[in-house]
Amino acid sequence: MTSAYLISIINSILRMTTPILFATLGCLLCNKVNVFNIALEGQMLIAAFAAISVNYYTHSILLSMLAGVAAGGLVGFIVGVFQVKLKAKDMIVGTSMNLLVSSFTSYMLYVLFATRGSLTGNGMVGLHKIPNFPESMPVLYGMFKNLTYLDVFGYIAAVLIFIFLYRTVPGFHVMSVGLNKEATRSLGTKVDMTQILAVTMSGILCGLGGVALCMGNVVIFTEGMSAGRGYMAMAASSLAGAHPLGAILSSLFFGTAVASSIALQSYINGQITLSFPYIMTILIMAVSGYIKYRRENRHHIRKGKTK
Amino acid sequence: MPLVELKDITKVYGTLIANDKVSLELNKGEILAVVGENGAGKSTLMKIMYGLEQPTSGDIYVNGEKQRFHDPLDAIGKGIGMVQQHFMLIEQFTVAENIVYSKEPRKGMFFDRTAAIRITEELCEKYGLYIDPREKVKNCPVGLQQRIEILKVLYQEAEILIFDEPSAVLTPQETNQLLDTIRTLAGMGKSIILITHKLNEVFAVADRVVVMRHGQVVGNMPIKETNFDELSFLMVGRQLTNTVIPEVEKGEVCLEVNDLHVTGAGSKEAVDGLSMHVDRGEIVGIAGVSGNGQSELIRAITGLLPAESGSVKINGIEVTNLPPRDIRDSGLSCIPEDRYLWGCAREATLEETCIMYLHNKEPLSTGGWLHKKKIHSFVSETLEHFDVRYTSVFQKMGELSGGNAQKVVLAREVMQHSPFLIAAEPTRGLDIGAIEYVHHALLEKKKAGDCVLLVSSELSEVMSLSDRIYVMYDGRIAGEFTRENAVEESLGLLMMGGKLNEA
Repeated sequence: MTSAYLISIINSILRMTTPILFATLGCLLCNKVNVFNIALEGQMLIAAFAAISVNYYTHSILLSMLAGVAAGGLVGFIVGVFQVKLKAKDMIVGTSMNLLVSSFTSYMLYVLFATRGSLTGNGMVGLHKIPNFPESMPVLYGMFKNLTYLDVFGYIAAVLIFIFLYRTVPGFHVMSVGLNKEATRSLGTKVDMTQILAVTMSGILCGLGGVALCMGNVVIFTEGMSAGRGYMAMAASSLAGAHPLGAILSSLFFGTAVASSIALQSYINGQITLSFPYIMTILIMAVSGYIKYRRENRHHIRKGKTK
Repeated sequence: MPLVELKDITKVYGTLIANDKVSLELNKGEILAVVGENGAGKSTLMKIMYGLEQPTSGDIYVNGEKQRFHDPLDAIGKGIGMVQQHFMLIEQFTVAENIVYSKEPRKGMFFDRTAAIRITEELCEKYGLYIDPREKVKNCPVGLQQRIEILKVLYQEAEILIFDEPSAVLTPQETNQLLDTIRTLAGMGKSIILITHKLNEVFAVADRVVVMRHGQVVGNMPIKETNFDELSFLMVGRQLTNTVIPEVEKGEVCLEVNDLHVTGAGSKEAVDGLSMHVDRGEIVGIAGVSGNGQSELIRAITGLLPAESGSVKINGIEVTNLPPRDIRDSGLSCIPEDRYLWGCAREATLEETCIMYLHNKEPLSTGGWLHKKKIHSFVSETLEHFDVRYTSVFQKMGELSGGNAQKVVLAREVMQHSPFLIAAEPTRGLDIGAIEYVHHALLEKKKAGDCVLLVSSELSEVMSLSDRIYVMYDGRIAGEFTRENAVEESLGLLMMGGKLNEA
């Protein structure tokens, strides 16, 4: 591997990380209020579709982004209302929502644009690129080539969410909801509303992820283009212990998995390398699940003793 | 003018009248005890006063003004605070964070945690209730957690403090500290309502007492004008029978524990070379401050915790480290100390709870098939016989009151007719009537020629029922007494780790 190749991989990792990072931030907000949201996948996909559709008609970056964020937020809000207010089972709501979004986007793709598979071209606009280092610094230039403002904003969002949760009063209340719902309610915090807002916010963040996915490097919508990133985000959030700054690292890890699975195609059979991120997802979920189980069980035993 | 006045409060749940025209008043600086059995309507009344429930009819007056509380925030706004029986704490947060919750000090848009710590320290100083504000709540023992609850209410500037069965979860030492705190607070001008069914606490602190039974006030008098017998008569509605200890011929050894070592949480030697025995026809008590290895001992005997070394024999059968079911099959039944953790599942129905362990034995099932009819009649009979108050056998355990839930567990274990019964903290959190009932059932067991190992942190309970008493301290037997030579002072001394002066 040449150094130029390595640099291009780092560049690819940074680009691949962005959608996962946004979804991971969304996921950890749901974790913090103890709502199990598996509709992240659908929230991303609907956002990507909405963004591209508006892009197709308006050629406006701002309107496309707003459309994506609104669509993701709407799906999040619906999921929140169903799971929190109507007490529907999280697995069923999330799974149906993902299936619904997946078929709805394919259907609308055909109805609106009379096409199947994907939609691209027709003067659609991509996200603005950040100013890069001059070409005289080839390493930095290569690494930060073609990055968009959203790629950078992902990290800023992580820091902002960290400050919100760990430094402000509303953030303190949000976290208390997930830790002890009953106590929080008795102290006058509106638990249901907080939970629904958090899930809606996860939809908005996933919406940004969806926009980054379809308007980043290439401007295109493909059926099922979220490709399991919502699930990777769940694993990433779990790996980060639902900490916003940890989420940066764990998202980079999954970004690396995706980027390397693409890069390694030229060396190993593509089917195998493409399944690499999903294998990592399962592994991480299993390992972090086991660690959590161990920790909770220890707590359980101790509780039994002190009572 | 009284500070708070409840007038003709009635609360109806469906067909159940929880409060029937209840009136009471509370004066400034007064400690008012509200006593009554579980289900007498004390908690409902307090929930109404704290805005957690709305009365069906009747009015609440504070300082002579009529109030309408829609939720606890309204009540808090009028200076009424409640120290709940089930702590409303967020365990992962620090003490200070819990205390200032919902009235947090802010610096601009940020949560000022430094100020929260300072506020907590000032509060501790003012009321003489000391606690480390930086400690995580989950690391605080139960007594301190209750202190946090009290400080929380005081931080809300409550003038009226309602304590809902505050000693139910405390050790005797912690209870004494709590009673001191209550006295101090009243001395500082706070008005206090103490809900309890422990009459010794009432006589220790209260100025006045209100007795409730079946949703009505059946007594309201200054504490000086009443006595223990009158109050318990009013509470239960009948004379309590004196406990008669049946004389039973001692039989052969039933439980034999030899040099048992058990590792507890944090790889600490919880049971440290303990030997003991229980013979047929006797009740053997284990006295001790909780946390001295009693839990681990029971769990090792019942197979829930592995023994490092040593042996446990039941009816001569070696059962050390066998699976729990095999140990039970050798003739053991057990009323566990935490009825919701080990004794039953909150989500299980009464019927399911009653047949647990017996469900795969004749006559309730054969070859894996449950006999619904037999189960049904068995369960109804059992519940009837043990006087459990229930509406349907398909009720969830979590819907029963603590006393009734304990009766179900007791019923199930006694109905197994095993020669050896372990009763761990069998009366914790129960009212006088239910305690009498449990004691009676244990004595019946002895009468039948079976034996009972009674583990309790209530010294009076151990002393009144046991034929023999072991004192447990730091994982070892610190002393052994017979009914005749058991003296409270010597037991207490050994429980605290002291040595008896043999001279």
